[in-house]
Amino acid sequence: MTDLSVTPRDTKPPLGGWLPGIRLTETQAAVLNAAADELIPGGDGFPPPSEVDVISFIGRYVTPSGLEPRWFPFLGEDDFRARLDGLGQEFADATPVQRVTVLEGLERDEQEFFTRLRDVVYHAYYSRPEVIRAINRLPAGRDYRNSPQPYGYSDVMDDWDDELLSRVRGTYIRTEEVRRVAIPADLPMCSARQAREAGEN
Amino acid sequence: MAAYTETDVLVIGAGAGGGAVSKRLSDAGIKVVCLEQGDWVHAMDHPHMYDGWELERKRSWSFEPNVRKFPEDYPVTGNTTPYTFTGVGGSTLHYAAAWPRFKPVDFRKGTEHGVEGTIDWPISYEELEPFYAINDAEIGVARRTGDPGNPARPEGWGPASRGGKVGHKMGSGFDKLGWHWWPADNAILTRTKDNRLACNDCGFCLAGCPRHSIASTDVSYWPAALRNGVDLRVNARVEQINAKNGRATGATYIDRVTGQRHEVRAGIVVVAANSIGTPRLLLMSAQQGHPDGLANSNGLVGTHLMYHSWSFVDFWFDEPLEGFKGPEPAVLYSQEFYDSDPSRGFVNGFSLQVGTSLGAATSALGTNTGNLAPWGAGHRSFFNEHFGRHALIYVQGEDLPVRTNRVTLDPDVKDSSGLPAPHVHYELHENDRRLVEWGQQRAREAADAAGGVIDTTTSGIGGIDGPPPGWHIMGTCRMGNTPEDSVTNKWNQTWDVPNLFITDASSLTTGAAVNPTSTLQAVAVRAAEYIKRRHRDIASQTTTPSNADAPAL
Ligand SMILES: Cc1cc2nc3c(=O)[nH]c(=O)nc-3n(C[C@H](O)[C@H](O)[C@H](O)COP(=O)(O)OP(=O)(O)OC[C@H]3O[C@@H](n4cnc5c(N)ncnc54)[C@H](O)[C@@H]3O)c2cc1C
Ligand code: SF4
Repeated sequence: MTDLSVTPRDTKPPLGGWLPGIRLTETQAAVLNAAADELIPGGDGFPPPSEVDVISFIGRYVTPSGLEPRWFPFLGEDDFRARLDGLGQEFADATPVQRVTVLEGLERDEQEFFTRLRDVVYHAYYSRPEVIRAINRLPAGRDYRNSPQPYGYSDVMDDWDDELLSRVRGTYIRTEEVRRVAIPADLPMCSARQAREAGEN
Repeated sequence: MAAYTETDVLVIGAGAGGGAVSKRLSDAGIKVVCLEQGDWVHAMDHPHMYDGWELERKRSWSFEPNVRKFPEDYPVTGNTTPYTFTGVGGSTLHYAAAWPRFKPVDFRKGTEHGVEGTIDWPISYEELEPFYAINDAEIGVARRTGDPGNPARPEGWGPASRGGKVGHKMGSGFDKLGWHWWPADNAILTRTKDNRLACNDCGFCLAGCPRHSIASTDVSYWPAALRNGVDLRVNARVEQINAKNGRATGATYIDRVTGQRHEVRAGIVVVAANSIGTPRLLLMSAQQGHPDGLANSNGLVGTHLMYHSWSFVDFWFDEPLEGFKGPEPAVLYSQEFYDSDPSRGFVNGFSLQVGTSLGAATSALGTNTGNLAPWGAGHRSFFNEHFGRHALIYVQGEDLPVRTNRVTLDPDVKDSSGLPAPHVHYELHENDRRLVEWGQQRAREAADAAGGVIDTTTSGIGGIDGPPPGWHIMGTCRMGNTPEDSVTNKWNQTWDVPNLFITDASSLTTGAAVNPTSTLQAVAVRAAEYIKRRHRDIASQTTTPSNADAPAL
C-alpha cells in the first residue's frame, strides 16, 4: 500500500514532544535534577526544580536516539545521556558551591551545550503547575494560568479608559496636501550610486 | 506528462493575497484552481493547550522556515531572515493580525521625496479605500473608530481588543506627552463570526489561533471559497509558470506526496506566492521568449525588497502590567512621528506600537531583547521583579525601496522537490538607520512619561544592529507607473505578460510604516474585482495597457 503520509515521524517535530519521552537512569535523573536546582534555586515560595519533576518535561523534548536533533532544544538522547553520565554521581552528591563551579566551567567551555540545557530547564520549570501557583502569589502574576487555552483571560482583563481616549489629538497629511520635502543634505540619495563611487560593483 | 486540467483562472499560493482573490473571483462564478505547496493546519496543531506552549514556538511555530525545516518549506539563503509560513493561509497562519491601514501620504512618497528607489503608487488611498472596507468586512476586524490621526474608517465587526493594564499604562504615557495614540485595529474577532469564536484574550497569538479568532486566510476566506467551488490543491508546488506567444498558459506543479508533475492550463494566471516566493517562481520560469524569467524584461523582478526597519525596546516597570493577557499584536500605536520631517536627518517616519509579553518562560529567557534572568543565586529576584511588569514598544519604520535589496535564485541550494532556493540580500539604507535610532529615543521618552521604568533593553534583532528580520516582506514585484519603474501596472497586471497578475505583498510599491496585510489584501481584492469585470478585455490583450489606457472597473 502507498504511504500517503507527508509528515512521517522525523520530518516535523511532534507537538508536545516525543512520547513517551526518554527515561533517564537513576543517576542521570539525579544529575539533571541537581543541575536544574542550581540553575533555578528554590526560595521565596518557589519550589526547587527537582521537586516539580522537570525531568519528565525535558524527557519529551530530548530527541530520541536514532533521530537527528533538528529542532529546539537540539538535545539528542545519546549525547545527552553521555553528558549526564560524564557529570555522574559525583556531581549529584557535590555541595551546591561545587556544583555551581562545575556549571560555570560548562558555561565557559561548552557554551552551546550549556545554553541548551539552561534553556530547556527554564522552559520546563516555568511550565510546572506548582511553579505557576508560586507565580500566582506575585502581585503581577496573580491571574497567570497553566496554559493560554482553554480559559484565556477575558474574565480578568482591563478595558480602555474612555476618558483618556477622549483627549487624543492627531492629524495626517491628506493626498492633496502631499508636497515635496527638503531632503537632508547629508543623506546619500542612492546606495547604488554610493557603491559605484566607492568602486564596488 | 499526465492529462492537464483547464480552468478560467489559476491562482498560485493560498495565503493572504491568493485566498482573497480566489474567494472574490469564485463569488462571481469564475472557475478557479489554486495551487498551494503546503497543507492545512489543524486546530489541534496549535500549542495553546499544552504545557510546552512557549517552547513550541521555537520548533513547529518558529517564524523562520530554516528553523522549522518542514518539508513543505523552501530553504532561504542570504544575509537576512525572512519570516514566512507555508500552508493554506500562508504567512497569516502565524501572523499577529495587527491591522492598520496605509495613510494617504504613503501612496505619494515619490512626490514627497523620491529618495533611493521611491516612486509614487499608481493609485491613491481614496481609490483603495472601498477595497479596504470590503476586505475588512469579509474577515472581521476589531476596531475603535474615531482615530483623529487617520482618515475615518468604517465600524469594525466588533469593538477594539481590550488594552489591559499595558494599554492603560502606555496610553497614559503618550497622553502626558501630548502625542497621538490610538487603540490598534486587529484582524481578530471580538465578536463571533461564522464558525469562528471571539478571542478570549489568551495572550498567545503568533502561533495561530485555535479559536480561529485571528483572521488567518485559511479561516477567513478559504471556507467560503471552497463552498464556491474553488479547486484548491494542497501539497502542490509550482515549478514553472508556462507561457506561449507572450501570454501565460498555466503552470506545471509537483505533487509533493506522489512526486508527479501535473499541468494546469488557464486563461489568466494570478501569482500570490509572497514577496520571496513570487520572484523566485518568476525567475524559475525563465523559458523561451523570457530568458531572464517571466515578467522580468526590465530586470526588476525580485528588486526593491522591503522589510520595514525595526527596533524592539523592552521596558520593565515598578508595577504589575500583566502583559500575558490579551491578544499579542499591538495594543495601541502612536503615529506622532509618521510623516517626513527632514530636520530629523531622515525622510519617512515610523509607528510606535505597544505590544505585550507572553508567559513565564519567555520572561525568564529574556522577553524580546535577550534580557535573560541569570541562572543561580540571582535568578529568583530577577524573575520576580520582571515577570508581568513588562511592556514592549517597537519602532516600526518605513524602509526605503532599495534596488539592490533583492531576491535571486541560489543555484547551490534546493528545496525538497529539487527546485532552487531563493537567495535574499537586504541591507538597511543610511536613512533607515537614522530613523530607527531616532525612534528608539522616542520610545524611551514614552516609557519615561508613563513612569516607573526599572529596566530596559533594546533588541539587536532589528534596526541599527544588523539587517532587520523580515516580518513584513514586500515590494519585489512592485506596481508602478511605467514599464521602466515597476513590474505591474495599476491593476496588478505584469507589464510583460498581460494575463499574468501579481496580487501579494510583492506588489506593494512602498511599505509605509504600518503592517502590510490589510493593504495587500485590499489591493488583491481590487485586482480580483478588475479581473472579474474585465476578463474579456484581458483575454484579448496582446500587450499590457498603460495605466492611462487600461480599462476602468
Ligand atoms: C511572524 C509574523 C508576524 C506577522 N504579523 C503581521 C501583522 O501583525 N500584521 C500584518 O499585517 N502582517 C503581519 N505579518 C505579515 C503577513 O503574514 C504577510 O504580510 C502576509 O501573509 C503576506 O501575504 P502574501 O499573500 O504575500 O503571502 P503568504 O501569505 O505568505 O502566502 C504565500 C503562499 O504561497 C505559497 N507558495 C509559495 N511558493 C509556492 C509555489 N512555488 N507553489 C505553490 N505555492 C507556493 C506559500 O506556501 C504560501 O502559502 C506577519 C508575518 C509573520 C511571519
Ligand atoms: S489572544 Fe485571542 S486571537 Fe490571540 S491566540 Fe488567544 S484567543 Fe486567539
